[in-house]
Amino acid sequence: MIFPFSAIIGQEDLKLCLILNSIHPGIGGVLVRGEKGTAKSTIVRGLADVLPKTRVITLPLNTTEDRVAGGMDFNRAVKEGKKILLPGLLAEADQGILYVDEINLLDDHIVDIILDAAASGENRVEREGLSFCHYARFLLVGTMNPEEGDLRPQLLDRFGFCVEVVSEKDPETRMDLMERRELYDNDPVAFKIVYEPETRKLAQKIAKAKKLLPKVKMKAHLRPFIAELCSSNHVAGHRADLVIEQAARAHAALSGQSEVVIDDISAVAKFALLHRKQEADSPPPVPPPEDDQKDDAEDQNEKETPDNEDEQQDDQISDAENNPPDPGMQNQDMQNQEQGDSEENEPEEPDNSKNDGQENLPEPEKDVTEQIFEIGATFKVKKITTPKDRKMRRGSGRRSRTRVSQKQGRYVNSSMQRTNNDIAFDATLRAAAPYQLERNQPDGLFISLRPDDIREKIREKRIGNFLVFLVDASGSMGASGRMSASKGAVLSLLLDAYQKRDRVAMISFRKSDAFVNLPPTSSIELAAQYLAEMPVGGRTPLSAGLDKAYQMVTNVLLRDPGIRPIVIIITDGKSNVAMGPKKPVDEAMAFARRMGQDDRIKYIVVDTEADGLVRFGLAKKIAAMAQAQYCKIDDLQTDSLVSLVKDTQ
Amino acid sequence: MEKRPVFPFAAIVGQKEMKLALILNIINPTLSGVLIRGEKGTAKSTAVRALAEILPNIERIKDCPFQLTTTETGKICKDCIILDCPARSGDRMLETTLAGIRVIELPVGATEDRVVGTMDLEHALKKGEKRIEPGLLAAAHRGILYVDEVNLLDDHVVDVLLDSAAMGVNTIEREGVSFSHPAKFTLVGTMNPEEGELRPQLLDRFGLCVNIHGANDPKDRVAVMERRAAFDENPKVFCSQWEEASGELSSKIEQAMILYPKVMIERPLLFEIASFCLDVGVDGHRGDIIILKTAKTLAAYKGRNQVEPADIELAAELALPHRIRRKPLQEVADDVHALREQNRNAGVV
Repeated sequence: MIFPFSAIIGQEDLKLCLILNSIHPGIGGVLVRGEKGTAKSTIVRGLADVLPKTRVITLPLNTTEDRVAGGMDFNRAVKEGKKILLPGLLAEADQGILYVDEINLLDDHIVDIILDAAASGENRVEREGLSFCHYARFLLVGTMNPEEGDLRPQLLDRFGFCVEVVSEKDPETRMDLMERRELYDNDPVAFKIVYEPETRKLAQKIAKAKKLLPKVKMKAHLRPFIAELCSSNHVAGHRADLVIEQAARAHAALSGQSEVVIDDISAVAKFALLHRKQEADSPPPVPPPEDDQKDDAEDQNEKETPDNEDEQQDDQISDAENNPPDPGMQNQDMQNQEQGDSEENEPEEPDNSKNDGQENLPEPEKDVTEQIFEIGATFKVKKITTPKDRKMRRGSGRRSRTRVSQKQGRYVNSSMQRTNNDIAFDATLRAAAPYQLERNQPDGLFISLRPDDIREKIREKRIGNFLVFLVDASGSMGASGRMSASKGAVLSLLLDAYQKRDRVAMISFRKSDAFVNLPPTSSIELAAQYLAEMPVGGRTPLSAGLDKAYQMVTNVLLRDPGIRPIVIIITDGKSNVAMGPKKPVDEAMAFARRMGQDDRIKYIVVDTEADGLVRFGLAKKIAAMAQAQYCKIDDLQTDSLVSLVKDTQ
Repeated sequence: MEKRPVFPFAAIVGQKEMKLALILNIINPTLSGVLIRGEKGTAKSTAVRALAEILPNIERIKDCPFQLTTTETGKICKDCIILDCPARSGDRMLETTLAGIRVIELPVGATEDRVVGTMDLEHALKKGEKRIEPGLLAAAHRGILYVDEVNLLDDHVVDVLLDSAAMGVNTIEREGVSFSHPAKFTLVGTMNPEEGELRPQLLDRFGLCVNIHGANDPKDRVAVMERRAAFDENPKVFCSQWEEASGELSSKIEQAMILYPKVMIERPLLFEIASFCLDVGVDGHRGDIIILKTAKTLAAYKGRNQVEPADIELAAELALPHRIRRKPLQEVADDVHALREQNRNAGVV
């Protein structure tokens, strides 16, 4: 029993999108994005009642490729010795609705298959010795919650429409909603009967519009208007233009008109533009920023408008690099939309990044007292993923996709290659099935298997990275907002780690020793809490810090050899406490060199030494020793730290 | 195998909120579960395992691997592995059994195919036919699915859980088999937040959420030790001592189940729910709906047929902590009333 479409309160945009698409499938499907509990799924399922003779085929997340595209019919292969196609979900969805809940969680390559079929209207099967092609004309409806990560931009573009759903903000409406829900739960059958007439009315309206659609024309002079709409939203490609035109025709048909007017275009344009538009500050060749970090962006917006920030950013960059930003450069920088500017947001801390002289002003003695600095502003980090490779790993997370060697992860496909006895029974049986009539069955068994029938599972799962933050918490870090800026940088990476389900650990060093503030954990919340509370003061036992970080990483590697550790060292390199008899700086260098020889671990050194007349450049030397990527903390104003994390992989 | 006695639910010291949340879910399965967050050794698992003893009986078709009632038979029965079940041929005269609601445990290491179900390999080899092998979700239909350390569950297993929890149906399209069966279960999860948070989407699927702490009162701590020792020494005797209390609880639950459909709520109280959700800031409407249902269930549990404002206060405490919109790194809220007060004073809505 499904909650009736016509009984749903609000969500008019989504309803309109679905209705237009069912009038004109050429629009190309709907992607529904929105927070949890906003009746996304209920509305889509309710649509089937409105559309007579339309089936809603649900594609579950656990699906394997053979069931999506179709595969060999096992039963018939055994009994008749023939290879016959057992049609998959794409065939079943022909002339119907294919509904994918949480499409952003579906395996990428299955999404590819679906979108290919949706775009071409047919499905080609070339697998298990079968070659087949059938119609697959379906209305694709996907829902997703951006909190769980976004779809790839290429996939986004394949959806004709995208619609954002939010919850109702008016208490009265929410009350109505609760009441209706209770009525439904108490007696679904009676509830449905009440809304039957409305459902029927809507069904008739759609049927009428469908008939009218072929006759709906759009005057040529409206095309430039659509083109203008698209170009002013910086839409890449021409799909948006085409979608808007077709959708406007459907909209006209829905209102019973045989000619498209401006209002039709205005009513539908936003659905075609929402997922395709790129802000002026994001250039076509690079993917648009991930929307799942919208929350952060909104928080930032409370403080400053994005435009302002971008300008400030530019100033920062030009100041920092003494170099006017060239257009290409500008695009690069703007790509990571929101970057807090720590200094600017913290009036209590003197702003030093631009005024070099100040750095040498006498600071109050901080070596003895401990201070806790606030976390500097955070920024959005660029997507950090490692390219999928063939190395077998284990772990769980969402940052990088990898083929996994253990019998874990999602079974996506099968292969003839034998590696680990993770037998794909279904594929093995299908491989053997056609030959059963010829082979002699051994006792008691119906199926005779030979070694060359055996197929193994190819599994895929995303693994997270393991990020170790090694933070210099010595007194020198307290100067001129360095610590706040560092904390801001670390928190930004933590926010990213949260979405990618990385594991993190945090080590700080000060006074005479290094402390594990946070042992390896997936709890980013804890990491953020420790970060906020991290005290600063005392001398700089850099070598102790390096040692501790290396110990921790190698320990984790022992248990989890496939994990990808990245150690992010945030320091000015001015080591002044040694563990052994060597000079502190020399000792740190030696440690760094030894650590650099372990090629399982990647390092990034973030230099917190302020620009000035006197620079020691010690952090840079450490970076060179450890074969680490190196960047200055001022560069964190751009997203270079994050791209560094990316590069190191 | 002789049944091992479990520690009686009624004998658990303290942890009022957790016990209440579990009881409410038994009375009204549409509350869709409880998430129990807390430190180690706070009787989380003991409480869930003890539930089985006080769960009411439900009627199901005899030997049905999908726990169906007579009204749920249909397409699934044709593919069923029980070959002599009359439902296969559409027969409506089915033999039923009356047995307690089941608690199905989903181990953290469970593989996806065991959770959703898969192809029966043995049957394929012996008979040359495809046959389905139901998974844990089939076993958990109309029962309780218990996941210890739910935050450690593999990501892709969480995905399939979300899928079924959302639809009440488990659809299997994998490894050459294709079937779907009803899978409406009460999801009970325990977790230690120190080991990482749950994904927001999964968090939202739990109707209620309780944060629990160890008992602080020395008297309570002593009581915990005494009862545990008594149980370990002679489980049978201990359980029989608590039999009466358990029986009372069971009958109270049964009465509440009967009363629940008759519980009314006045519209001004709905306004209170809506404004509560708006004040603290929650995503979507599930919060509203769950508070309403919880408040009604509370009223029924207390033997009333009218929801009172206090029911809503308490329901909000149970239904909102994990739904409050938070920044990615914020902790799950502890005190929803304080938060509401604070937001109101700050004028944030």
